[in-house]
Amino acid sequence: MTAKRFPKISFWRTIVALIFAAGIYSMYARFALGFKAATNLTDPQPWGLWVGLGTLCGVGLSAGGFAIAASVYLLGLDRYRPILRTSVLISFLGYCTVCIGMMYELGIPWRIWHPIVMWNRHSVLFEVSWCVMLYTTVLALEFSPALIEKLPWAKPRDLYLRWHHSILIALVLAGTLLSSMHQSFLGGLYLITKGRLDPLWYTPYLTTMFYLSAIPAGLALTIMAIYLCVRSLNVRVDMSILSDVSKVIAPLLAMWGVFRFVDLISRDTIGYLWMWREETLLFWLEIALLVIIPLILLNQQKVRQNPQYLYGTCAVVVMGFITNRLNVSITALQASSGIYYVPKWTEFAATLATIAAAVVAFHYAIVYLDILPKNPPPQKWMASSVPARA
Amino acid sequence: MATTRGILVDITKCIGCRSCEQGCKQIHGFPTDTELKLSTTALTIVEEHGDRFVRRMCMHCQDPACASACLVGALKKSGAGPVTYDAGKCIGCRYCLVACPFSVPRYEWTKLVPYVKKCDMCAERQAKGQLPACVEACPVQASISGTREEILAEAQRRILNDSKYVKRIYGSEEAGGTSVFFISDVPFEKLGFAAPPKQPLPLLTASALGDGPTVILVGGALLSGLYWITQRRALVALAEAREKSAKEGS
Repeated sequence: MTAKRFPKISFWRTIVALIFAAGIYSMYARFALGFKAATNLTDPQPWGLWVGLGTLCGVGLSAGGFAIAASVYLLGLDRYRPILRTSVLISFLGYCTVCIGMMYELGIPWRIWHPIVMWNRHSVLFEVSWCVMLYTTVLALEFSPALIEKLPWAKPRDLYLRWHHSILIALVLAGTLLSSMHQSFLGGLYLITKGRLDPLWYTPYLTTMFYLSAIPAGLALTIMAIYLCVRSLNVRVDMSILSDVSKVIAPLLAMWGVFRFVDLISRDTIGYLWMWREETLLFWLEIALLVIIPLILLNQQKVRQNPQYLYGTCAVVVMGFITNRLNVSITALQASSGIYYVPKWTEFAATLATIAAAVVAFHYAIVYLDILPKNPPPQKWMASSVPARA
Repeated sequence: MATTRGILVDITKCIGCRSCEQGCKQIHGFPTDTELKLSTTALTIVEEHGDRFVRRMCMHCQDPACASACLVGALKKSGAGPVTYDAGKCIGCRYCLVACPFSVPRYEWTKLVPYVKKCDMCAERQAKGQLPACVEACPVQASISGTREEILAEAQRRILNDSKYVKRIYGSEEAGGTSVFFISDVPFEKLGFAAPPKQPLPLLTASALGDGPTVILVGGALLSGLYWITQRRALVALAEAREKSAKEGS
């Protein structure tokens, strides 16, 4: 073996390198040149892709952590314990991307601490910012043993782990409540846009809508991430756990769908469902991706039990979820804003680079920490034989 | 709130001279070129709609959406009427731009330390007993200012005594009522006026926020209860297993 090797140039490494290069330019554009150079945001469209994709989707897709933690610790569903650490890690990294994204979004990011001392309890955004702050702390604490247990000093290590064990249930309880609050309050942000948000999305129950859709989407993302770990990171997971998670996703999506349509009917907005316009097409795209297609697929045992099919189905759920959040935050507000917003490429690049950084961090955490059980290293006698994939 | 100040704009009197624009730009030290839309350097402008001239500016709502939205409380409704902005608090989240039903606040997109810009009804001047700059500049008194009650009564008097007016005071009930009012002889819909909901917009979010404590109390109790049951079942299962093994052992 050579002492020092350059990392191999592979397809995915090239992609990640390109994303990072574009991300670095976006960072320069945003912080050295300003909003005007880095974004297509204008006064009628003050929130764009960074809020819609970075924050709304980032927080929503990170809902898996609290759902699995609550199931295991509070409901005693030990079945899901093997994927607990992974889902907490995904959520933690998800919230990290949201916090980094906040630096891009805020006009004056070095004042990000202001809400800690300057309170306005009438503001939904104030509640969201506090919940996100506290919940990111909770996630960091929930995940911390994975790092602490690697410490070589036995005494402080055990002391910390014992302390951690004693507060764990309180952490999970607080995490569940905080998540439930801000997942729904993210929808609550748009309650103030009455009369401007399209009737297919504006409802007094936006909060409930956001909460009900975040949990299945978060679980779907967790399944996708774990599948990818097993496929390429040489770790083991009992795939039947994933198929059990998918059995929970289906009724949750169905519940959201039913709630969505009952709400539409009760608000007399049925007429909008058949209008030939962009909003309605996007509405049906959202319903197809988030309800119809996943329900049909998840109803089949063949899909639930085949990890690859399951992965594909979860990808559809995640896309549907992203469509929903972008609809609420961007497309459903376009008509009333009077302008047509298309994000600048630097907006995409900044968000993608942040997500890519989280994926790289996730990769290294899985490889170097004890998140998922690893396959035993290949034995010498296996070297010439067919690579065994469990 | 008896001393709350307000502004009345009578569209029938406006001659489109743009003195109000200039007066506003002068006291703020903005470049004096005429602008067609509200901007960070034009906090009030005069729009042309057919042969009518319509001033646009912050409406200074009685219960402002922007102030309820601002998470650090940089935007506030002062007791004297104006909705003011404290740039020292602002973190640049721009939720006020999202929240405003009249699309008034403007953001300094080109700056590296950007702030929100909007009319503050010359709060400082009014506190010293002076008129707002735009009102002072108006040569034909199309804009007048006074206490909210006074100018509402004046608007009422004008539309009742003269049949040319549309029988409506724009601002009296929009977004729950504002401190800037318009009266006109042309329907407001034809003059590009927004049609916001009639209730104060902060009420829409207040009901959701009000659920917060309930979620914590009920949710907390529910989850603690579930945890207790989970624990109890584990203990019972353990005890049963022990009993069983003890019996088998004897």
